[in-house]
Amino acid sequence: MQKSIIVIDDDEAVLLSVNKILSKAGFHVETFEDGVSGLEGVTELKPDLVVVDLRMPGLSGMEVINRVSEMDPYIIIVVITGYATIDTAVEAIKLGAYDFLPKPFSPDELRVIVNRGLEHRQLLQESHRLEIERELLKRQFVTLVSHQLKTPLVAIHQYLDTLKQLGDTPDTASKRQDWLERCLQRTDEVLAIIKDWLTLSKVESGSLTGEILRVDLKPIILNTMEANADMAAEQGITLEAELPADEYPVKGDRNCLAVLFDNLMVNAIKYNKPEGRVSVSVKAQDHQIVVAVADTGIGIPEKYRQALFDEFFRVKGQSSGQTTGTGLGLAICKRITTEMGGTIEVESELDVGSTFRVSLPAYHEKADQEEENRSTK
Amino acid sequence: MTSKSKILLIDDDRDFLASVRSVLESHGYTVVEAETGKDGLQKLIEHKPDVIILDIMMESLTEGYSVNYAIKHLDDYKEYKRTPIIMVSSIESSPDERFPISDGYVDVISPNYYMNKPLDIPAFLDVLEKVIQE
Repeated sequence: MQKSIIVIDDDEAVLLSVNKILSKAGFHVETFEDGVSGLEGVTELKPDLVVVDLRMPGLSGMEVINRVSEMDPYIIIVVITGYATIDTAVEAIKLGAYDFLPKPFSPDELRVIVNRGLEHRQLLQESHRLEIERELLKRQFVTLVSHQLKTPLVAIHQYLDTLKQLGDTPDTASKRQDWLERCLQRTDEVLAIIKDWLTLSKVESGSLTGEILRVDLKPIILNTMEANADMAAEQGITLEAELPADEYPVKGDRNCLAVLFDNLMVNAIKYNKPEGRVSVSVKAQDHQIVVAVADTGIGIPEKYRQALFDEFFRVKGQSSGQTTGTGLGLAICKRITTEMGGTIEVESELDVGSTFRVSLPAYHEKADQEEENRSTK
Repeated sequence: MTSKSKILLIDDDRDFLASVRSVLESHGYTVVEAETGKDGLQKLIEHKPDVIILDIMMESLTEGYSVNYAIKHLDDYKEYKRTPIIMVSSIESSPDERFPISDGYVDVISPNYYMNKPLDIPAFLDVLEKVIQE
């Protein structure tokens, strides 16, 4: 789209030459001989940029700058003047001018400053747009978080209030025990959300991450399997690992990696089918160590895969309806892998299973050790 | 207890459904449950309830609004257009407010009544009675 520029100067010769230079450079240019008509022009045209002389009879250039930046802070103002002093330049910029061009100036100088100003405008507009988007996301995010925390509390409150309101009836007597059990479970759900939330903020703030060092994945994976063996056995799920004989060291933080693989393992068990299988495999590939955690579970519908790693996102489906989760586990996994300089991906087939693949930067014994030595010196 | 009105409860939280069902049944209402908006619309046609209690955030952030819209504006449900809807949610925004979604804004189509969760049981029963008498 053609950019439009308004030039305000009481010197007709300047107006003519500036108009000529800028029109030739492909801009739509309109010129005004005084501040008042210039401001009217700005209101009407809403230009991308205004070139204004500081010294004019009537409304001064400073006043024009002031009014234009009040009207629309994204209009770029370039000041031209034959009486340039540091003081006036500073004042004009304080009022919202973008830059200052002392007279006389060459056509090149004018073109350069105008183009730079327009680039600046694009940047301003872009960041303004991003800010609005972030704000919107934040608003939605707060709604999401509070909803997620309130849902179990509402359920608990409603059970307790119902027991209180209905008093002792055969109906409440038969349900009381079951409802209390549900209240306890939902209480645990709130606690789990808060715990995961804390983990997530710790990863985010970097306080969960210690030094990035050489870590062998094998003991971490074996520990994770051992820690979840009971849970797997309860659901009749077999845990298996295909671990290489050699060490496959990565660059990372032990605590973070333990949280990462625990989350993936717990998911693989939870969203599995009865008598299902969870298999973990590790292999080296292009300076990366790739760990795959595969389940034989319900799978993830394709439309959900994109949002899967978002905070508080949970796949809703007939089979996942009964499974409790905080909606933060995979968000934590994503944060951790990103923090360690790695990636996490998912492959999934409905009713066949899902595979989560984590790639982490491999530790190169020689090069990385030298670097570690250097940084500790 | 002379009331024999049929209530359709649409909410994705099974615990919420269980307790509210007990309250309603103990006051003589018949209850039909649905755990998704889609299921709710199907049960609406199957059971022809007198009142609908509708949650807002279910599978999507605005699922309740979509269900409300469908019942009030789509031809498929025109027979049930006048079935009163009581919207319930724990998000503290009145349904008149614009509700933010990721790709812009949706206009919220007002339900007949709106109540905050957790439901104040006596107030909820009052509203229900009032709605049915209307």
